[in-house]
Amino acid sequence: MKTIRAEGAAAAEEADRSWRALPKHLALALASIAMLYPLLWMLSSSFKPEEDIFSDLSLWPQTVTLGNYVEGWFGLGIQFGRFFLNSLIVSGLAVVGNLMACSLAAFAFARLEFPLKKLWFAAMLGTLMLPYHVTLIPQYVLFQKLGWLNTFWPLVVPKFLAVDAFFIFLMVQFFRGIPRELDEAAVIDGCGPWRIYWSIMLPLSRPVLAAAAIFSFIWTWDDFFGPLLYLTDVANYTVPLALRGFVDATSRSAWGPLFAMSILSLVPVFAAFLMFQKHIIDGIAASGLKR
Amino acid sequence: MTAFRESAVTAPGVRARRAGSGRWRRALPGYLFLAPWLAGFFLLTLGPTLVSLYLSFTDFDLLRAPQWVGGANYERIFTSDPKFWSSVAVTLTYVAISVPMKLGFALAIAMWLNRGIAGLGIYRAIFYLPSLLGGSVAVAILWKQVFGYDGLINQLLWLAFGVNGPSWISNPSTSLYTLVLLSVWQFGSPMIIFLAGLRQIPRDLYEAASIDGATPRQQLVKITLPLLAPVIFFNLVLQTIEAFKAFTPAFIISGGTGGPVDSVLFYTLYLYQQGFAYFRMGYASALAWILLLTIAAFTAIAFLSQRYWVYYEDDPR
Repeated sequence: MKTIRAEGAAAAEEADRSWRALPKHLALALASIAMLYPLLWMLSSSFKPEEDIFSDLSLWPQTVTLGNYVEGWFGLGIQFGRFFLNSLIVSGLAVVGNLMACSLAAFAFARLEFPLKKLWFAAMLGTLMLPYHVTLIPQYVLFQKLGWLNTFWPLVVPKFLAVDAFFIFLMVQFFRGIPRELDEAAVIDGCGPWRIYWSIMLPLSRPVLAAAAIFSFIWTWDDFFGPLLYLTDVANYTVPLALRGFVDATSRSAWGPLFAMSILSLVPVFAAFLMFQKHIIDGIAASGLKR
Repeated sequence: MTAFRESAVTAPGVRARRAGSGRWRRALPGYLFLAPWLAGFFLLTLGPTLVSLYLSFTDFDLLRAPQWVGGANYERIFTSDPKFWSSVAVTLTYVAISVPMKLGFALAIAMWLNRGIAGLGIYRAIFYLPSLLGGSVAVAILWKQVFGYDGLINQLLWLAFGVNGPSWISNPSTSLYTLVLLSVWQFGSPMIIFLAGLRQIPRDLYEAASIDGATPRQQLVKITLPLLAPVIFFNLVLQTIEAFKAFTPAFIISGGTGGPVDSVLFYTLYLYQQGFAYFRMGYASALAWILLLTIAAFTAIAFLSQRYWVYYEDDPR
């Protein structure tokens, strides 16, 4: 009886709270609209004829047209699909590289014993703080000497060498939380470090691997600076670079196609966000707290 | 194979006894796993860092070999380069205004959302979305339009007040603040870290405090802020470093020039211009080292200041 009464009281209190929460919901909804308004406006403008972008303020276009998308898609002489393919290649390889190289290093730091481990670990943490501007010019000279300018190699190879220490750090934190008894049992069963890494650690680490994969994909997809430095031939442009090319190449009146292609460029990021929202948010929260 | 096995998990006593002859042999698996990172560390991080330090004392245009000039680059930067100083001023203004505003918003909204509300996930997602898209060229292009002469802001101003607004982007006295606003709009990722931190504060502390008659304000000052201090510290350091490195929006909005009148000539943009527009690679390396030292100094000061305002609970585990 007692529990039922308590539940009833809690439910009443809950209802009461939700009723009082109404102004708060209203305020939050308004804030949400304000936050999203610029993006919604760009989305709606991308479907408006050019002259309506500047006169029609409503988010619902009076005349819906796909003309901006068609014009934008063919606007740079090369179809935009080419830039999407380039971005997909670079981002896909970046994900594979980061997952492989960073998880290997993280496993070594979290589970193996070897001389100088503390020194290397400190060095790895030190690179987290290092602004990339410092290594920029020597790296550029190195890649130039290797003949890698205007190829995807400078954007991809560093990921296979675990240059994004942030992901190593994230994975070390996660691996440390996996019970050591599992490795010990595996050793008794005759497993070497490779089997422990591959058959025990990786399958148990899906959440952190997912977070690292999503962030690596989104950050590489959105990266502007790397492609700006290394890609010169329009046919090799990634999507952000192509968008920039658009701003320079077209006159002020071509906002419609520019918005249309901007929206398209955000679609993969937005889709990743919708599908993996939980991993994205947990990934950020973990990076802040599990120090 | 035995060597592999033992090195993975070995009792401390056993390890100590055998240390010596087989020590390096048993180190092999560790180093094999670490090999990609080690290669990257030496070839792409440590090596380039040292080379960059050397280049900062040279005159180097990428075509001829670097010419040693001693401290000439640094001397010129500090004594006869007005653009350096204006880019420092722009960057410091940006950091000093955008970081506190962004963190303030992030904390306020996080505390608001934390008081148990239906639909938390949806609000959290909506507020986070701009952070996620923020680094993209698309959003920078959007901003350029929104604050342009016939952009969204001026349309709204005309509709609401019948005022003809200026072009916020091409006016040197306002252009930097449009970028500050863009940065504040992206308060989502510190907000999520704050939310995670707020969840760690035990509920009973608040209950005990309200029984003792503490006002919400007292609860904020005596419970929430002190217990959240480590998270505030973490966000502050992270966001400040990020703000020092801001580049893409300024590049897109100014078309790579930093204009009008160098009003959005961020430090990183100036560095890029020196290195990759004028091919003054030695000079740009010196600029990069000044940035490195500035960020290191800021981080060191932040860490030293911790003892005065950040209280870490003793970890019982």
